[in-house]
Formats: sequence, C-alpha cells, structure tokens
Amino acid sequence: MDTPEPLLKIRDLHVGYGKKPILRGATYDVLPGECLTLLGANGSGKSTSLNAVCGFVKPTSGSVLFDGIETAGLSPHKIFSHGIAQVSQARDLFPDLTVEDNLRLGAMRRGGKEISQTLQLVYERFPRLAERRKQPTRTLSGGEQQMVAIGRALMSRPRLLLLDEPSGGLSPQFCEEIAKIIDTLKEDGVTMLMVEQNLNLAFRAADRFIVLRDGEVVDGGDVRAMAGDHDAIVREIYL
Amino acid sequence: MSTTMPTSRQRRLRTWAFWAVPVLLLLTPLATNAYTQFIINGMLISILVTLGFTLVIGNLGQLAFANTAFFGIGAYASAILSAKLGLPWIMTIPLAGALGALGGFLASSAALRGIRSYYLAIITLAFGELMRWAYLHTKPLTGGTDGLPLPRETMFGISLSDDTLKFYIFLAVTVVLVKATLNLLRSRFGRAVMAVRENEVATASLAIPTARVILTTFIWSGFVVGCAGALFARHVGHVFPESFGMLHLIASFAMVLVGGLGSVLGAVLGAVVLTALPEYLRAFPGMEELFFGLIVAAVLVAMPLGLASLLRRLSPIFVERYYREES
Repeated sequence: MDTPEPLLKIRDLHVGYGKKPILRGATYDVLPGECLTLLGANGSGKSTSLNAVCGFVKPTSGSVLFDGIETAGLSPHKIFSHGIAQVSQARDLFPDLTVEDNLRLGAMRRGGKEISQTLQLVYERFPRLAERRKQPTRTLSGGEQQMVAIGRALMSRPRLLLLDEPSGGLSPQFCEEIAKIIDTLKEDGVTMLMVEQNLNLAFRAADRFIVLRDGEVVDGGDVRAMAGDHDAIVREIYL
Repeated sequence: MSTTMPTSRQRRLRTWAFWAVPVLLLLTPLATNAYTQFIINGMLISILVTLGFTLVIGNLGQLAFANTAFFGIGAYASAILSAKLGLPWIMTIPLAGALGALGGFLASSAALRGIRSYYLAIITLAFGELMRWAYLHTKPLTGGTDGLPLPRETMFGISLSDDTLKFYIFLAVTVVLVKATLNLLRSRFGRAVMAVRENEVATASLAIPTARVILTTFIWSGFVVGCAGALFARHVGHVFPESFGMLHLIASFAMVLVGGLGSVLGAVLGAVVLTALPEYLRAFPGMEELFFGLIVAAVLVAMPLGLASLLRRLSPIFVERYYREES
C-alpha cells in the first residue's frame, strides 16, 4: 500500500534555549489523519518539538514543512492561520472569560455564520461545555478545562492539532475520556501530534510513536506492533 | 468574587437606564447655578479623561501613563486651531480627537516594541513630560508660559462662554464617546482586548493580531482623551502647560482606581466623585488635600475594586461584558 504524502515534515530540526540545544536534528513525518505520539524522558525535546511546530520557539536550523509550506520561524498567529492549533500543557485559557467566549476566541479570525455552526459542533462533541457555556472557565474542573482547551483549538478547524500532555493533572478516569475524544477526532479525520507521558493513554490513542532522546529520534514505529510490549518502550525511553 | 451576568430583560433595562441618565441630565441647568454648572461641565470632561485612561491600563492591562499627553495634545490642538486658524471651536473637537489618536499611536509604538510594565510606564511618562516641554518652548504656536486663550465665539447666537450651552455640547460628546466605547468593548474586539490582558502569548497563538488590538486601543484612548482636551480648552477658555503635568495624571489615575480599574461605569463614577469631592472639601480650608488623600485611601482600602463593584453587588445590570474582577 502506498504511504500517503506526509502532512507535516520535520527535517533536521535544531532548537535551543540560549546556548543549550534541546532538539538536535530531529527528523520525522506526520501522516494525514493519524495520531503520532512523541515519547521520551523529561528534557528529551518533546514539548520543544511541538512549540517549534506552532511557532512558540524559533528553530535555529532545519525545516518544518506543513502541507508543502515552510513554517519554521513564522510567528504563532501566522502558523495558526495555516491550520495548526496547539493545546498546550498549561491549557492557556482565559480564566475569567466564559466557556463560550473562550471557544469563540479560537475562531476569532474566521467570523460569520460558520462560527456558530462550529460552536454547535463543539458543543455536540462536549455536551458538558454546552451546559456550562456561560460559566467563567476558572470555575470548571481540570477535565472540563481540558475540554475547553481542545474545543477552542477545534473552533479554528485545524488541519493539524498539537496536544501537549492532554492527560496532565487529570484523573485516570478522565484519561479514558481523553482517549475517546482522540478516537472521535481521528474518525473525523483530524491529524494529531501528541506529547504524552502516560504510556497507557499514548498507546491507547495513537497510531504511531517515535521516541526522542537528547533531542534526536532514536526509535519509532506502529503502536499496534508494540502492543503488549510496553516494557521495551520504557527501556528505550528511560534506560 | 463572582458576578452574575445580566439576563436579557436586565440588559434591556440597562439600555433604558443608559439613555435615561443623559435625558434626565438635560434638565440640570434648570436646577443649578453658574458655579455648579461649571463643576458639572468639569465632571463630563473628567469622565472622558478617565475612560480613555482605564481603557489602556484597566482593559488592555498596559501600564502606560501617556493619558495626560493625549489630553494636552487635544486641548492645545483645539486652542491652536481656534485661535491661530480661526476654525469654529465645535469643528476642532474631532480634529483634537484625531491628534490625540495620533498621540495614542505614538505611545503604542513603545508597547508594540515589546516594552512592558515599569519600562512602559517610564517611557509614557517621559512622553507626557516631553509634550509639556513642547508647549513651553513653542511660544509662537502655544503661547509658552503665558498659555493660549481661545477666541470669543458664538453658537446659535449664544456665547460659547455660556456654561449651559457648553454643558449641552459636552454632554452630547460624552454620551456619544461613552456609548461608542461600550459598544467597542462589548464586541469581538472587546473580547480580544481582554484576552490580550489575560495572556498575550496565548492570544497571539490563536491568530488574534495582538499588535493591532494594542494599537487600536491606544488610538481609541487617544481619540477619546483628545476630544476631552478640546472640551477642556473651551471649559477654561485659556490653556496653560501646567494643566497637563503630573498632578493631572495622578488625579486621573485616582479617578480610575476609585471608580474601578477597567470598568466604564467605574470611569464615570470615579470622575464624578473625585471632581465633586474637592468642592465639598473647600469647607475645610488648609485641610483639603489631607482629607482628599484620606478619603481616596479609605475608598481603595474598603473597596479595592472601586465604586463600580458596589453597584455590581446591587444588581447584575451593572455587570459589564468582558469586565474582569480582580480579587
């Protein structure tokens, strides 16, 4: 079977903070419609990789090719306009704005009737948010805030969704809910690049994985092929 | 502290209340003497000055103190256009607003270069002082230390030195600018302004052009305060550089805080209360400043969210969309 043309091509990507290099020549692809998860120990460059893709940090060298467009070095709002949305680890919500205002901010650049339709779709996906549409987001639980963060990213109708530790700080019960959300997003054809420390969630939700160590890709493959052999992955990551 | 958002019925009531206040105010000249009318005219000017100030420091969250510069620019623009070019004063109001907006554009350039917090405060303070220096040292245009008098003028056959006529003009300008600002803050733009204040990086990552939001807010603030400057020029009839110094800035800042930072209602309340207060304190000669300071400090200690928070507690109709209560 032919492999489809990657939606995102990362080539020899170098990123550092000051003089400290974090990513050292990372190279990988994200295929359309898949969920790729980045695994690795703390400091291996997973979140930095996402931040470089969405423009929060500027690469020192290398290429980030999104659907044939070079986005490395562009500002975050320009990258967002190309269809890349990130749900950051900190969620970056506006705590005193209502759920609906937070969601609408995700589609600020679009406008028109379409926003209301997308908003309806987000509410159908997350009925709990519809119930709390007028509440300030600071009054929601951690899980609900994560729904707002994902919902806000979906309001922009992204072609690539970046998820930075979607299970961070959430209960195991809610991790399963996150996995289900990712399943439905995949069914809808949303391409995802995810960083996740929770291996159960990562392997439950992703199609493929790659392992980063010291800013380089050292392993990767099909999640199904690794089913039942998580120990090997753990050794690869941490030992 | 949480606030309940108004229901649609309460919002309709709020709209009625908004228009009822200026309509009732139309009757004030019937119940006031010349002195009281002069003070009320001053209140209307202070409302606009405080409104422009709170937009930048309260709603947008930028520690910028160029407000008095915008005010001086508007006042001198109006005086120069009237006295030197012979333009009818009423026509100088939008022009003074436009020049105030230009001042806003210049002040925003520091913020757009990523200068924030105390550094922005110092730069914008310096901008205000630079403008005062310019008024002093461009004597042929501004009259220098002697100031610049506005020419006598009539409108509808009534002298513009008449406080009642001035009141109706000031009221119209104030109502239009307050309403326009409220509409701006209730729109998608207002949501973006609040988002910039809450988290600028996150706002930018949502493809919201934060630079444009900052620039537009400064420009609108400059326009509102510039128009207030034109009203002030006619109010006092003679503009002097001393009117646009640190004292004016501190008084405006106190109005913003006493009313409630980032609240349009607070701007109105703060301006009205702190313009009226010194007049009442005249009964205590030699102690006015002391009492004024104590009262301002007491209000801020008792109500850190300002006078507007009192009304919000009374009824949700006073809750402003996208207003954030900081507690």
